[in-house]
Amino acid sequence: MVTALELAESVLKRLEGRFDDVAVLVRQRDYVMVKLWNTEPSVTQSWIDAKVSVLVSRNGRVFSTELSVSDPDAVDNALRNVGEILTKLEPSEIYAPLPEPAEFKPLEGLVDQNVLKAMEEPGKYVEEMIDAALKEGAERVAGTLVFGRMTKALATNKGFRGMEEGTEVEAYLRAFKGEFSGHWAHGSRVLDINALREVGRRAGMYATITNSKADFTPGKYDVILSPLVIGNLIDTIGWMASAMAVMMGFSMFMKVKPGDKVGSEAVTIIDAPRDTELAESTAFDDEGVPTKDKPIIKDGVLVNILHNTGTAKKMGTESTGNAGWLFPTPWNLHVAPGNVKSEEELISELRNGIIITNNWYTRLQNYVEGIFSTVSRDAALLVKNGEIVGHLGRIRIADRFANLLSNWELATKETHKIRWWEVETPTKAPYALIRQVNLTKPPI
Amino acid sequence: MTALDEGLLQWAVDKALEAGASYAEARYQRDVTSGVILRNARTVGVGSEVREGIGVRVIINGSLGFAATNTLTREGVERAIMAAITRARATASLRKTPIEFSDERVGRASYEVAVKRPLGDLTAETLTELGKKLTETINSSVKEVKVPAVMFQAGTRLQEKLVINSDGAAIHSVVPRVTAFINFVLAHPQKGTLQRTIEKEASGGAELIDSWRLEEVVSEEVRNLEKVFLKGVEPPKESIDVVVGSEVVGLLVHESAGHPMEADRMLGREAAQAGESFVKPDMIGKYRIGTKYATVIEDPTIPGSNGYYLFDDEGVPARPRYLYKEGIIYEPLHNRHTAKLMGTSSNAAARAMDYASEPIIRMSNTYLKPGDMSFEELIEDIKLGVFIKSYMEWNIDDMRWNQRYVGLEAYMIRNGELAEPVRNPVLEITTKGFYSNIVGVDKHLRFYPGTCGKGEPPQGVPVWFGGPDVRLAKIRLGVIA
Repeated sequence: MVTALELAESVLKRLEGRFDDVAVLVRQRDYVMVKLWNTEPSVTQSWIDAKVSVLVSRNGRVFSTELSVSDPDAVDNALRNVGEILTKLEPSEIYAPLPEPAEFKPLEGLVDQNVLKAMEEPGKYVEEMIDAALKEGAERVAGTLVFGRMTKALATNKGFRGMEEGTEVEAYLRAFKGEFSGHWAHGSRVLDINALREVGRRAGMYATITNSKADFTPGKYDVILSPLVIGNLIDTIGWMASAMAVMMGFSMFMKVKPGDKVGSEAVTIIDAPRDTELAESTAFDDEGVPTKDKPIIKDGVLVNILHNTGTAKKMGTESTGNAGWLFPTPWNLHVAPGNVKSEEELISELRNGIIITNNWYTRLQNYVEGIFSTVSRDAALLVKNGEIVGHLGRIRIADRFANLLSNWELATKETHKIRWWEVETPTKAPYALIRQVNLTKPPI
Repeated sequence: MTALDEGLLQWAVDKALEAGASYAEARYQRDVTSGVILRNARTVGVGSEVREGIGVRVIINGSLGFAATNTLTREGVERAIMAAITRARATASLRKTPIEFSDERVGRASYEVAVKRPLGDLTAETLTELGKKLTETINSSVKEVKVPAVMFQAGTRLQEKLVINSDGAAIHSVVPRVTAFINFVLAHPQKGTLQRTIEKEASGGAELIDSWRLEEVVSEEVRNLEKVFLKGVEPPKESIDVVVGSEVVGLLVHESAGHPMEADRMLGREAAQAGESFVKPDMIGKYRIGTKYATVIEDPTIPGSNGYYLFDDEGVPARPRYLYKEGIIYEPLHNRHTAKLMGTSSNAAARAMDYASEPIIRMSNTYLKPGDMSFEELIEDIKLGVFIKSYMEWNIDDMRWNQRYVGLEAYMIRNGELAEPVRNPVLEITTKGFYSNIVGVDKHLRFYPGTCGKGEPPQGVPVWFGGPDVRLAKIRLGVIA
């Protein structure tokens, strides 16, 4: 079987004489996912496939394609008319020549052999997660456990060659007790049995944390958001930090520029491609630019918009190593921790307010203004005098991202590695206390 | 004719049965998309994508296994089959209830959506021209505001499937689609910004682009939205009659009738992802969710629709389903697994996004049944009300009960007529709150496209949702904080 890099080079060889720029990106994967419902597997899914992405340009005219094939001839065949198509296009507004190759520092420790072994016996790890939730008193669980291996290779006609192999673990569980539920998630490159048990334990803990219900009146509240909620909201903010989102009118950063204050001093958000604990860690981006960790927001100030070479040229700056050929994106996100020693201490600081442990369905009325809402799921808990007094049911955060970032006050010292259905970008996030957040619920 | 040798799929099914599977299914799927992206009338990207491969599904010792590959040789397919079997077996110790499928009369058929003009007519050049024209239309339609960003995206999608299973199904289908997406931002120094997305998508050929009259649609929207942006007032705080436009109604029935009536959600299969449902099996045929106007239909067989199919991915023939009928919760969407569990027959709701996705229960085209009134008749006796014509922000909770839609183009209704524009009215309401407050529907059934997300890994499938304009009594609207 040819390696991903051999495949990329083979495709490149067929195309490089015909275009000014050629980049070939190959992704090969072997993944297994066990999906659970009612405390048992609903399906075990596997993917063993490859994807070849090709970028070509001539005279500033750019064409990109993505093909789910493993055969260089098939790629060549699929691109046979591209030369003619290019002659009819106008130059791309964001064209920049592919960069000359720069030396990149490979990342160590992206492959965990234990993950590769676990792919053939996922059942026992699923069992550990389930047991941990049931021990907390949960009645039933649903969730997902993923083990996988991905190989990425990039070859460009400027001479860049790079290949990386990495493993991934993604685990999340939702535990139910009666009408209440709790949820937790974990994402990493390595298999850590304790982290999997912790997924079950925390999901079970939130499902059983109180048997009481509490009344809710819409209004502004001080809230603690869990790392799952922070992860979900920061996912959207990270996406909006892409230069292409800014250019297209899909970003709250359209109205500000680096150096402007966009949040409280407690807010620092970092794009962290070199954090090898998180699953999108990579040493080079899709154009072969070496990656680097860099703040998007530091101490409340916007520092970096994320660029590929094309958007960087358009905006008169340098690539940040976040290509995406068309759309630069964050790799992994870090939300900086605070000084609060524990979740309990954060609840004491909250004194009176609401803890939202999970959310979904974040949608925006207006990206430029950052007007959004998102719905809580699982435990949303009322806190009175520093004590959890009951579940509030499903409530909604309906506010502006600018308000959330400005009213961000405290965070725990500990961060959690999160990835799940509603947190697509692997994230390390703490619990955070945010003041005066607008919360709603339907009147009828 | 498929690009693939049908014999390979039959071989795969036989191979899986030989290896011990009690059920086997092999689906070849090829999705070819191409299109352009423009920003402010300048080309940003031109590209294409081909997803082609085989997904196999097996039941082995009561466990369900799925595997996908794009190595379309016997060796590649066998590797996928063995992965599906061995990895499903590896979780067998956790299995309590064996997975079984309902008995169905599966089909053997081949169908193809006929086009008036081939998709190939929509070249990158043609679509770029269209994007430039539309951007020009937007810029020339505004009077006082600026337009800092216009994004235009358009393209074609061609989907081919061949499904063969061990119960005798053999279904070949070819469905072409055309898509267009326009997003624009209006800006004013004192008023801030307003943002709108317009989407079109349907099955058919290149002729669809002209039929959408995009220049006319965009021009009218921009002119109306500028008025809303500059002159919009807050909605009344008291309870009033609210007329919900068909665009909002379509989304609302998708979210609050379609999703909760998916039997897999009702039974908990999506509990950790898209969630469960307020609908429980014992409510079917009995529970009143709304007034006599609350009839929601799900129909994959509408010609030209975005969610069009005649057989589902388990080989079961498609037909219209009444999710809610005259206010009663009526018929859930089933695949063969949930049908078996609930002692009924599949109604052909199994769809897979691409070769690498397992078929799961999905909507197709969901709509609220229209009535026979005109819009004028619907609002003629409203003394004070609000008409919400379009939206941007929306969401709903994971039980499909508590939902929110934030209006974009909206107007006061005064003495039976549309009056001044309203800015950002918020309809936050429960599912029962909506359906039980419907007091009238007009006759104008309109459909809107969407990409419905569900499953793990998430699968986006093309759907339509629609309905008439709907009048609700005694609703309290909110405003953006």
